[in-house]
Amino acid sequence: MLKDQVVMITGASKGLGRALAMAFGEKGAKLAICARGQEKLRKVEKELRNMGVQVLAVQADASNPFDIERFVSITEKEFGKIDVLINNASVLGPSPMPILADYPADEFLNVLRVNAFGPFLVTKRVLPGMLLRNEGTIINITSEAGHIGYEGWGAYGVSKFALEGLTEIWAEELANTNIRMNMVDPGEMDTEMHQLAVIDCDYPLAKPEEIVDVFLYLVSKEGAHIHGQRIEAQKFLKRGENQ
Amino acid sequence: MRTTYTFQLPKELNATCPPEKRGLRRDGVKLMVLNKQTGAIDHDCFYNLDQYLNKGDLLIVNNSRTIPALLKADWYRGQKFLKMNCEIRLARQLNEREWDVIIPQEGIQFGDIFHFSNNVIGKVTKVSEHSPFKRMEFTLGGVQLLHEIYKLGEPIRYEYIHQPYLLEDYQTVFGSIPGSMEMPSAGRAFTWELLEKLKRKGVQVASIILHTGLSYYLDDKWDHSPSLQFEEFVVPPNVIKQIQETKNKGNKVIAVGTTVIRAVETAIHTGKYSGWTNLYIDRDFKIISADGIITGFHEPEASHLHLLSSFVPESFLMKAYEEAIKHEYYWHEFGDMNLII
Repeated sequence: MLKDQVVMITGASKGLGRALAMAFGEKGAKLAICARGQEKLRKVEKELRNMGVQVLAVQADASNPFDIERFVSITEKEFGKIDVLINNASVLGPSPMPILADYPADEFLNVLRVNAFGPFLVTKRVLPGMLLRNEGTIINITSEAGHIGYEGWGAYGVSKFALEGLTEIWAEELANTNIRMNMVDPGEMDTEMHQLAVIDCDYPLAKPEEIVDVFLYLVSKEGAHIHGQRIEAQKFLKRGENQ
Repeated sequence: MRTTYTFQLPKELNATCPPEKRGLRRDGVKLMVLNKQTGAIDHDCFYNLDQYLNKGDLLIVNNSRTIPALLKADWYRGQKFLKMNCEIRLARQLNEREWDVIIPQEGIQFGDIFHFSNNVIGKVTKVSEHSPFKRMEFTLGGVQLLHEIYKLGEPIRYEYIHQPYLLEDYQTVFGSIPGSMEMPSAGRAFTWELLEKLKRKGVQVASIILHTGLSYYLDDKWDHSPSLQFEEFVVPPNVIKQIQETKNKGNKVIAVGTTVIRAVETAIHTGKYSGWTNLYIDRDFKIISADGIITGFHEPEASHLHLLSSFVPESFLMKAYEEAIKHEYYWHEFGDMNLII
């Protein structure tokens, strides 16, 4: 059980973010969730409340410094602390994804802003409370496209490479603390974003709900030794490493 | 006993911008070290703070975070529109919907209405000729009101600041729990890198919360005595224990700012670990929690100077301030630092 644990998830109104909110809520955690779209966010908030979960749902853009300040501060005021941060919010950019030579510069910058600068800002804002208490877990959501340079994955791939670099550097800098930072590559999943990335996909995909156990493991006592790692969720579960 | 300190602060020594905007790192500001026993003064850089602390010493910081407490609203009496964009400074939260506020505008009456946005309206529920504060009840409370404050508010800036620096410039790196109307500025020069350096040396770091009120009521007729200023605090019981253990081992406890002294001394003297404090500390008050203090440089009339005189004889303090002026130390929230130890 994660009773009294406060879990913050960005981009929690759909896909993996929503599945994580449900999974952590079910385990008894208090949730602080945000998303840009009001309607879907309120729907998730309602579902969580119906499950008896204590939830703070804030309409916010997780790459906007003012929104982040508001979201995190209100969470700390309401719950007094944040134990777990999952930097999940991200955008794909234009779909179908143009090759880099054709990539519109403003779109490129926007994808980097949301997918790399956003997690930097949210983490920087959440970290002080964790550092003072000397405990906390941060998980960044990456992608195989942020590990290997695949043709056609444009700004999304570049932004996830940046996020992986950010995670590695920050994990090193936190090595002398009890704060753990890892990244999870969820693998290909049946989400709106995947439909935009791989149009007319004709092979089976995992459901977001099928990989949430990796995250539950990472915040558990059993997973407390894991720091600075890149975890491929589907392989990790297949190997039963969370058992 | 209260003393009026007399010295002239040259205008050019007002820090008009954050150190990062004048080419320094946050922890690159000057540090004056004042020996409270001898009055001896050292001049150094804040990043070298570790040179003055020992393994086992305890540093206590205030992790209250600054909120954007300066708001604007349109003023109405009944249906009658009176003025647009009136300034309203939040001073302290009394309960879910009620706050004490400062409204520089003359002629405010009981029942006056202030429109902040389509989402929030404030009604004046108390006006007193004996108090600088007006009481205001908002149509929203709790988290909803805080959302609006963040969306509409600006940090409180004083007249020596010429640029509209952002709220993030008015934060310490460890500021976490929101609630201060003004930055607890004694902690501003710290960086996580410096804290890590101190930690490696074996210096302990603990935190308390004291949400600061307003340091100036915009009209000199009001008394700024801390005894009239109630501020909310939380001192975790383990911090009191840590202080005792540190002292028992012969190590020093260093308070980062007068807010820390105020909160911790209140907790020790009252036995209450949270609540409101209006503790006034001057040279006759015997501080039992801290052996030293890190603070900024204060104006002659600031009550902070009275608190500092409980650490160090006034003659040493005044000599140090003369020296600070001579060496062109910067004053105020973005300024240089003073370690009294």
